[in-house]
Amino acid sequence: MGKPRIALVIGSGSVKCAAALGLMKVFEREKINVDMVVGCSGGSIYASLIALGWSVERATDATLKMWTREVTAKRSNRAILQLALPWIFKFDESFGLIDDRLINRRLRDGFEGASFADTKIPLFVTATDLYNGEQTVLSKGLVADAVRASISIPYIFPPHKMNGRFYVDGYQSDPLPIGVAIREGADIIVAMGFESPYQEHVTSLMRYNFQISSVTSNNLLKTNYAFHNLAHHSEIIPILPEFEHPIKLFDTDKLPYVIEEGERATEQQIPFIKSLLA
Amino acid sequence: MEIKDRAVDGVTVISLMGSIDAMSAPKVTDFIHEQVGKGNTKLVADLSGVDYTSSAGLRVMLGAIKETRSQGGDLRLTGIQPDVSKVLNLSGFANILKLFDDVDSAVASYS
Repeated sequence: MGKPRIALVIGSGSVKCAAALGLMKVFEREKINVDMVVGCSGGSIYASLIALGWSVERATDATLKMWTREVTAKRSNRAILQLALPWIFKFDESFGLIDDRLINRRLRDGFEGASFADTKIPLFVTATDLYNGEQTVLSKGLVADAVRASISIPYIFPPHKMNGRFYVDGYQSDPLPIGVAIREGADIIVAMGFESPYQEHVTSLMRYNFQISSVTSNNLLKTNYAFHNLAHHSEIIPILPEFEHPIKLFDTDKLPYVIEEGERATEQQIPFIKSLLA
Repeated sequence: MEIKDRAVDGVTVISLMGSIDAMSAPKVTDFIHEQVGKGNTKLVADLSGVDYTSSAGLRVMLGAIKETRSQGGDLRLTGIQPDVSKVLNLSGFANILKLFDDVDSAVASYS
């Protein structure tokens, strides 16, 4: 058998996914090269930054420019009218409570127009086809477009339309898309995943939405993780950073801490990864 | 990987020490297969000495569950360490396995 092909899979988890930058710091230090990167939802941002070969500092700066509270600050008037008067303001699949023009612009600027062809490591971004529920693997075109499709949080951002299809968040088909790495021929799969947080109290429609979403996605995560572990011919190594305090959707001020926890969780697995590569 | 076994009240307690991964999985599989071949289908795996289990470890456990249960026995776990617990929970294996706090409780569960 030749050199094992290593895949890095980064699951959904919003700002927590920045822990993948900590993982890459450790891999660079240990001279462990990754042959492909797969990302879903928040993980697609960091998968893309890693695949483009950007340094941790540059990736952190890009995150701070792209992902701030402002991206969800502006409500979509059309969506509100669609909800209130659906028979007049036709309700359709483009529904999203937030005006997505800012996040679209931020992603385009943040990724500096990069395309999949510019990546140093093969990159695969997953999204979910709204109309048939299938996982779609995006590996061509603009990185910003693929990431936008992958982070289409239901009800919040409108589904992203590409090539005549509407895409919602990648986590809806698989919050930790290890299957993509298996299909692409990976041997050792390093999978960084996060369970979605549960609400302490359900006090609004949006919190109710997030709670239902967490229940569904966490169960999907476990089911798929079990299947992939049993189906894969080689090792799947979970990297599961632990955070003492909850990391919320826009806690970008905690990026250094998140990256540090990613480093710490990765370091625990280094002896095993090295033994597999020896 | 170090493996020891002992019989307690008609139950075979298997103590494992090390990591259950791609390197050690064949040894564990062979050991369990040998036990079942001898008619020892009521198994308790004491994992207090296991610090890590990988995907290969999960496959070993699934194989053991199917082999023992198909012959009227079971594989029950005890002494689960935090890192192993995380993997068992994430994979949903905690839902299909019977887990116990100590060897005595696991053995007693067969009576």
